[in-house]
Amino acid sequence: MTAISQDQPKVKPKGPPNLTQSTGAGWSFLVPFLVIYVIFLIYPVIQAVIMGFFDWDFLDISDRTFIGLKNYGRMFWGTEMTWDAQHLWAWRLVGLAVIPFLWRAVGRRSLTRGSAIGLTIMLVVLFGVTMGVHPGEGGRWYDSQFWSSFGNTVLFVIMSTPLIVGLGLALAVALNRPGRLVAILRTMFFAPYVLSVAVLTLIWAFLLSPSLGLIGSLWESIGLEPVNWLNSSTWAMPAIVVTTLWWTVGFNLVLFLAGLQDIDRSQYEAAELDGAGTWAQFRFITIPGLRRTTLLVVTLQIIASFQIFGQVFIMTRGGPNGATRVSIQHIFESGFRDFELGYASAMSLFLFVVMVSISFLQFKYFEPEGTA
Amino acid sequence: MTMTGSKANRSAEALERASRAHQIRRRLFIGFLVVAAIVWIVPLVWMFSLSLTPNEILQRDTTSLLPREPTLGNFSDVFSVGLTPRWFLNSVVVTTVTTIFTLILSAMAGYAFARIDFRGKKIMYPFVLAGLMVPKEAMFVPLFLMFAEFGQHNTYHALALPRIAAPLGVFIMTQFFAAIPDELEEAARVDGAGRWRTFISVMMPMAAPALTALAIFTFVLTWNDYLWPLVSATQREMFTITTGLASLQGNFAQATELGALMARGVLASLPLLILFVVFQRQLIRGISIGSGGK
Repeated sequence: MTAISQDQPKVKPKGPPNLTQSTGAGWSFLVPFLVIYVIFLIYPVIQAVIMGFFDWDFLDISDRTFIGLKNYGRMFWGTEMTWDAQHLWAWRLVGLAVIPFLWRAVGRRSLTRGSAIGLTIMLVVLFGVTMGVHPGEGGRWYDSQFWSSFGNTVLFVIMSTPLIVGLGLALAVALNRPGRLVAILRTMFFAPYVLSVAVLTLIWAFLLSPSLGLIGSLWESIGLEPVNWLNSSTWAMPAIVVTTLWWTVGFNLVLFLAGLQDIDRSQYEAAELDGAGTWAQFRFITIPGLRRTTLLVVTLQIIASFQIFGQVFIMTRGGPNGATRVSIQHIFESGFRDFELGYASAMSLFLFVVMVSISFLQFKYFEPEGTA
Repeated sequence: MTMTGSKANRSAEALERASRAHQIRRRLFIGFLVVAAIVWIVPLVWMFSLSLTPNEILQRDTTSLLPREPTLGNFSDVFSVGLTPRWFLNSVVVTTVTTIFTLILSAMAGYAFARIDFRGKKIMYPFVLAGLMVPKEAMFVPLFLMFAEFGQHNTYHALALPRIAAPLGVFIMTQFFAAIPDELEEAARVDGAGRWRTFISVMMPMAAPALTALAIFTFVLTWNDYLWPLVSATQREMFTITTGLASLQGNFAQATELGALMARGVLASLPLLILFVVFQRQLIRGISIGSGGK
């Protein structure tokens, strides 16, 4: 028996911390990084905002004309624009269907009433109103590829995020146990993450090839018609999703494993004594315990998915018929194939704003209380 | 304690049965995981197998997971045909330089934020963290223009500098230095060591674990960078192994040169796979602290 007093944490004397006031020293340590940071990260953002207002030619970068908001008009607008309730109704309905869930969350006190009102207004404006705007009869978008590539990007985000996060979580829970064998298995699932995108596409382009690949021969051996996955407008995007899943699931696996380590083991022991089964333990201890990690993983995953480029660009070049053309590819080609740097900048800013808004929303409204 | 003997016996039997069933279920589950993990790395094994198989055999059959008539011919092709060795060298230079400078600058800035009280700190720290929000992938156009204005594309520094500007390293190092107890630094200061001496001979050695994690993480991300090298290094001699390998896909007479192509893939991933096997723990640590998870 140890004395109880020994178990009590030592109270630190509440004096001034050892942070001596030294402005000169502070800045001398900071400045080298700061210079690089301002030049190569902050300045480009400002430059992007400026370039967005110009018609800026790639071939002669001193040749630029101020055109105000025309780049944005070209992105968001078209001819004969109209509004009607049925345009893209299925997608918009899905967006609006989120609203009841928000209010259920208010009922369960995981969201404040004010936040719910704000989010509801946002969803109504975005899905109820804005998405109904489109070119009417005889009209067209000024840049329909902007919308189709953005649509493909969103489609990729929607398809890949639940799969990659879900599989990452499942693997983490399954592999969160001691032992050498399990450690080796963790390594095996994580290994593809260290490959570069060019190696990834090298492997998967051939893996998916109907004549040369393993998947094709497996397909034929069970008596099915070979499918040219990457050349089919139906299957190209799912094939890209599967490729990405294989590549990046290890990253989420690691984050979830770290999150699982933080859950107090005694909670499981207590639950076991109470006779809670594996599923109940997962549902009532693991899931709530991983809330913060899940929020982080989902946010990182969505942001990374919005930036998808390499896989698509190397494997399909955006084809077939633009079915896998994504936003970054459109920006890249507008800037470096069509030589319109101003327009490409405007589109990068749009993508930037979308990503920042998503991470802002997630952290503002879904951060569990007390951890912000 | 009040249980009768027979009851106790029966419940012990039931417990044993239950635990045996539990054991079997556990074994089955692990078995399932083993199979899944093996299937998971089949694509990787396949690449290695193809890289070791002669091209003539690959024209007939590409579905073997073990190389038939294994040969290193594809690898000698890598060194005799094309620019692959040059690209590999480019990647080594750019990645090494980027990693070293990221470590030095991040450690210095992290030390300033965590352990020195200076005027302007309260503004500068959020200012640096705000950079975490900026996606490099969406900002490559103005960055391109900047280097173009000074005619600096197709150089090593054009490839390295934008990566060094990453605020993630500063965040990681600040977190790390903030967690070191004051006493250690105090002792050095009492001995008369100045800021820089303390930083170099006390703090840096202590930061070795965090620095290793950051180094591995930076190395992997830089080696695998695709979009920026694609935009900036447009001369074939200045390609990195990642953009170079990507440029070969689709240009190659695919079916005939498959083995040689896969050998290049193996070469491109070998440094990282080796690094990964040796420093797995540090890489994983880098990911979990780098993502703000811990």
